[in-house]
Amino acid sequence: MLARSVCFALEKAGSAVWEWEDGAGASEGSPGHGLDPRFIVVDGATEAYDALRWVAQLVTSFVGVTGQPHAPPALTPDAMRGWFDRMQQRWTAEAPTQFTNIIEEWKYRQDGSFATLLGCELTGLTGPTPRWNAVALGDTVLFHVRNNQLITHFPALRVDDFGVAPAGVHTKSEGIAQMMSDLEIGRGELRLGDQLFIATDAFAHWVLQRLQRDDQQLWRVLSELDHDATFAALVADVRAAGQMRNDDVTLLRVRLVAAEPDYLVVCL
Amino acid sequence: MYDQTFSRHNPGCIVILLDRSDSMKQDWQGSGTTLAKGAALALNKVLLDLCIKSTKEVGGAARHYFDIGVFGYGACPTTGGEGVESALGGALAGQPLVALPALFSNPLAVREEAAVPALASASRESSVDAMPMLSRMPIWVEPISGYRTPMCQAISVAGSHIYDWVGAHPNSFPPIVINITDGLVTDSPYEGADLTEWAQRLVSIETNDGPLLLLNIFLSAAGQTEVLFPSSANQLPEPGPDLFAISSPLPPAMVANARAGQLPMQPGARGFVFNAGLSSLVKFLEIGTRVADIRAH
Repeated sequence: MLARSVCFALEKAGSAVWEWEDGAGASEGSPGHGLDPRFIVVDGATEAYDALRWVAQLVTSFVGVTGQPHAPPALTPDAMRGWFDRMQQRWTAEAPTQFTNIIEEWKYRQDGSFATLLGCELTGLTGPTPRWNAVALGDTVLFHVRNNQLITHFPALRVDDFGVAPAGVHTKSEGIAQMMSDLEIGRGELRLGDQLFIATDAFAHWVLQRLQRDDQQLWRVLSELDHDATFAALVADVRAAGQMRNDDVTLLRVRLVAAEPDYLVVCL
Repeated sequence: MYDQTFSRHNPGCIVILLDRSDSMKQDWQGSGTTLAKGAALALNKVLLDLCIKSTKEVGGAARHYFDIGVFGYGACPTTGGEGVESALGGALAGQPLVALPALFSNPLAVREEAAVPALASASRESSVDAMPMLSRMPIWVEPISGYRTPMCQAISVAGSHIYDWVGAHPNSFPPIVINITDGLVTDSPYEGADLTEWAQRLVSIETNDGPLLLLNIFLSAAGQTEVLFPSSANQLPEPGPDLFAISSPLPPAMVANARAGQLPMQPGARGFVFNAGLSSLVKFLEIGTRVADIRAH
């Protein structure tokens, strides 16, 4: 069984493309080298200092982009704590040596940076018990879907749980105790044909609202997304209808397939 | 109502009414600083926080998420005598409402303020490790005290500018007016209307997202028992009942922010703090200015 992913993203309405402050990464694994597929979606806080750098650091380290000084973290509390430490130390080590003005320096020292996180690893894809394991801090959500039906979502947020002050990964080391307290770990069994959708908060909130209304078409629509423009049109429509908060949105979709597709269609 | 986010397309409007009457020269609860100095320090810190929140790109300028007004009432160092005038100085002097990028670029000074670290920790966690909190900070408002307390005139002057602002920003989050005072109003009635009527006129100003929010904080030099965000005026001494009556009920986002800051809130809580110390003033200003999210567009 193979894991194949695609990621859709859209900046806030009215913002430039480069102002998108989420992040997503995928490593589809290498069974021959004992590397399991890994996926991560993070949501940099709008008011954070240099959210783009923090988000990029978290994503590249978690999926193990070549050249990283450490192996990606195991998805256990101890390993995640060590990873948080390393991420914060690197953030501080790469701090600017000078700032443009006193306000920017205040922002760096007082606020630092912050992002919600959903990281996922797929294990046993070639064995009898394939599963997903995930860690979460905050309101980025993983949806496990089978035959266009939701199996579960993680973390188990409700519609009313989105909003003020979500948990997340902070650059402040004194925040680690709270981060460890907030850290959630989940898992689920996988089957061929299953899909995982990982979405940042605005999109995840909309998904949960649709599920509350028993939307039978939701997963079919999301399964058939095949182009950035289609995704952008969907988000624009639901924003215009007042059903989705105007925020950066990211949706990473992972499919469990038996083999590579016969054709690759490139849309330009 | 109160759903709009702050953005460049729909900026917010935050107006501070700052008592600069003679009684503000009193020592603040034995702290060694006066009410005027403490209030100016807290106000400069909240202006700094608004600048911080509105700065996105590293090396970039602040974005126009807010228009800011600071009106001093009592002593008027610029125009002289007693009255109401903008408390912003330097390049911003005489401007009733200032776009945040202009505020960002034009502090009066950047200087050491020994109390800043304590001020910051009164409301937040400490700074990033190995990077101690700065003690230098930008200053926009200086401590001034003198004359009486023309609060009605302050509402009148600020209200006229806010009215014009709402006309230009009908879809923005409603203006937030925060009144910082330590004394009894001395100009009620003013132009035929008492304080309650002036406040009613002020909160009748509204955008499509709801009516203006009027928050009041009464500073206590003597360190009497603080009352934070009460839901009734029962047992409050003067001028507590009058200030409670003119204070807006807190919208849900402010209630959520206050609860997130470990402040217990009763249903019907109003934007009012009585007998505040410096720490409560800092928290009050934070809660009052963090009512809605910034959306970076």
